[in-house]
Amino acid sequence: MKTDVAVIGTGLAALAAARTVQQSGRQVVLVWPGLSSLYFLSATVDVLGYPTATAAEPIAHPAEAVARLIAQEPTHPYARAGMNAVEASIALMLEWFKEAGLAWEGAIDRNFLLPTATGMPKPCCLAPASMTAGDLSRPQPLVFCGFTGYQDFAPEFAAANLTRQWGAADVSAVRVTAPGYGAERLFTSIDLARSFEDAAFRDAVAGQLRERVTGDGVRVGVPGVLGLTMPNETFAAFQRAVGHPVFEIPTVPPSVIALRLFDRLRKHLQEAGIEIIWAAPAHAADVTDQRCRSILLKAAGHELPVEAAAYVLALEDWVDGAFRAGVHTVRDPFFHQAIAWNKVPTDRTAESLFASQPFEEVGYALTDRLQPADVNGKPLARNVFCAGGAMAGYDPSGTKSRGGMAIATGYRAAQEALAA
Amino acid sequence: MITEEFEPTTDTVEEEASVEACTKCTACNTVCPVARSTDIFRGPKALGPDMERFRSPQEAAVTPGLDLCSGCKLCEVTCPSQVSIQEYIRRAQNQGAREKGRSLRDWVLGRTRLLGKLGSMTAPLANFGNGNPLFRVLMERFVGIHRRRPLPKYQWLTFERWFKRHPQPAKSRRKVAYFYGCWVNYNDRRLGERAVAALERNGIEVVVPRQQCCGIPAVVNSNMDLARRYGLQNVRHLTPIVEEMDIVASSTSCGLMLKHDYSHLLEIAGSEHVGARVYDIMEYLWMLHEAGELNLEFETVPMRLLYHAPCHLKSHGIGYPAMRLLRLIPGVHLEEVDEGCCGISGTFGVKVEKYDLSMKIGSRLFEAVKAAGSDQVLADCETCRMQVEHGAGATSAHPIEILARAYGHG
Repeated sequence: MKTDVAVIGTGLAALAAARTVQQSGRQVVLVWPGLSSLYFLSATVDVLGYPTATAAEPIAHPAEAVARLIAQEPTHPYARAGMNAVEASIALMLEWFKEAGLAWEGAIDRNFLLPTATGMPKPCCLAPASMTAGDLSRPQPLVFCGFTGYQDFAPEFAAANLTRQWGAADVSAVRVTAPGYGAERLFTSIDLARSFEDAAFRDAVAGQLRERVTGDGVRVGVPGVLGLTMPNETFAAFQRAVGHPVFEIPTVPPSVIALRLFDRLRKHLQEAGIEIIWAAPAHAADVTDQRCRSILLKAAGHELPVEAAAYVLALEDWVDGAFRAGVHTVRDPFFHQAIAWNKVPTDRTAESLFASQPFEEVGYALTDRLQPADVNGKPLARNVFCAGGAMAGYDPSGTKSRGGMAIATGYRAAQEALAA
Repeated sequence: MITEEFEPTTDTVEEEASVEACTKCTACNTVCPVARSTDIFRGPKALGPDMERFRSPQEAAVTPGLDLCSGCKLCEVTCPSQVSIQEYIRRAQNQGAREKGRSLRDWVLGRTRLLGKLGSMTAPLANFGNGNPLFRVLMERFVGIHRRRPLPKYQWLTFERWFKRHPQPAKSRRKVAYFYGCWVNYNDRRLGERAVAALERNGIEVVVPRQQCCGIPAVVNSNMDLARRYGLQNVRHLTPIVEEMDIVASSTSCGLMLKHDYSHLLEIAGSEHVGARVYDIMEYLWMLHEAGELNLEFETVPMRLLYHAPCHLKSHGIGYPAMRLLRLIPGVHLEEVDEGCCGISGTFGVKVEKYDLSMKIGSRLFEAVKAAGSDQVLADCETCRMQVEHGAGATSAHPIEILARAYGHG
């Protein structure tokens, strides 16, 4: 099949790239090997939360901090994207969220500080409006609310940890029952989210909270399960019934907040006429004279060649199986080259589970235009551009830059693809 | 810490995803239409890769709730690690049926071609019975087919016999073999006629090779041995055909069986050579278009159409060629109704104990179809069309029928 630009991936980098191409008026096709971690993990767009992976003090003003980082580290993914792409991609996403009917808040010059399910303060730049009432820079007391039998959010643990980590004085926890759920039933946040779309269920939960939570200005934090398909309405109705400001806290996978974001953006692209090729992992690139003529998808029964003028590889590294690690090599699915990382397995992991993991940084070596490069720094193909997790040195976890790096590099790679 | 002496001599990179590739991300559970609609189904993650670790061919398959998996394969479409989630469930279902035996109902439903032969031979009687409320009560009581599920009408003149009398075009640029499937043969000959007309309008001579049921009804009724037997027959009939020409299928699930499941699920030797030349009919025509060979002399078709993408079409990994093709036709206003699985999943929603669940799965789709108020709902899969007609009171068609209409046929 033929198109102007083919974007390979399903994460925020791929979505931002597809949106960028779409806005230029060119034709784009999205190739999805399977869903990315965006689908079940993320919930916010974090631009830069900490200057380094080990820094203790969170960043309040991400725009300045990113500019500093770019000046200091010329091979950092932000530096490769450039400050213009960082700013433009944030603007692109905010506008897109609005157009797609996603109620989100935030701006590039300030971070929210929102509590996580483990009671950690987490800096993030853009967040759903249903989360921002939990901002820890506000002084009002917090009550974390859990549900009896729901194992993915323990309000007592979150409250105690937040008090310890943040020194927040007025944090407490309650548990309420969710009608139809209990210890005998195994359920996830998805089940609860579906139930919250039912007014009777919602009111039964809100009624208990109204009774148990007293005091002026108290903010109520609930796990992020307030509706799946019509979150704006569900959230507003629940908050009204509770009678206090309510905020959602993202849960462990499957994260309903992430699901909402992903499903809405996906549908919005499809509504705009962008085609998605499902379930067809790309497994080879046909490259002659340094130009990629097509990528080959593993469709059922045979190969499906996708011919485009340019390609954006917006894959993750490990989650979506973009890279396969052997004992001595790491290979990519397109060029079948051992990519810029050939360390022995013992060097791939850090001893502490919670440290930054070297394997996260595995990825394509790149040219200045984000083209995957060979050992001599020459592009493997002039019309292929890389964004997101498959870039070498891309590790958003410690610095809390998941989402921000994805959209900035996705935007930049798409601009390069349009110019190619 | 991993020992430094660890120094194997070969560098192995696993190519096929195994059960160990499952990272427990739960993406599959979130898209499962059954899990969305009932709280007694534990979801593809638990029933597929999780339980697979405890299964062995020597031990009884005792996972409760296995039969609630409808086989839509959306879990596999979603899986970031390309784990064959549904195939694990399928094999366990089959193992369970082998041990416990199958009901008469499932025995019958797995034999679509036999049903078709009987149904078309006795067409007026079969159709009367299938539409008769008293008969349907008895059928529900004694066979287990839900009384409210409309059953397909049988036709006396089969597609096979129609085609024998169909005059071949005088000249053609190429030949293609048509795998019409049981539905076209026994229930919807007109669809087959239109598929042939659309192909012939493109200078293609249609060949109808000898063929058996693709086997998917047997697979979904936990009879993989029967499916394999059908598959072997088809591979035998079609192997000489693919030496000379491509094969097109107008049924999404038949096509997927030929392309993929014969080799992956049923492990039929030599089937990949056949599968490599099988195309969905819309996929095939789109390829023709990209090669600049599609006949673009369309009449205006002033219709507001809604496209429902069947779950199994997503598993083809070819996108939605029907939408691309139909948007070439002047007058066609086409939108996608993106509300997921329709719920019927072949024979799943026909069964007395699954009917309500199947209707609940499809309820979002039905609401969206009703709200859209289009002239017709299009779907490449025949049971999706049955379900949309039943649940939303809409009329439906296969996309090729719109193309045939644009060519002035029908």
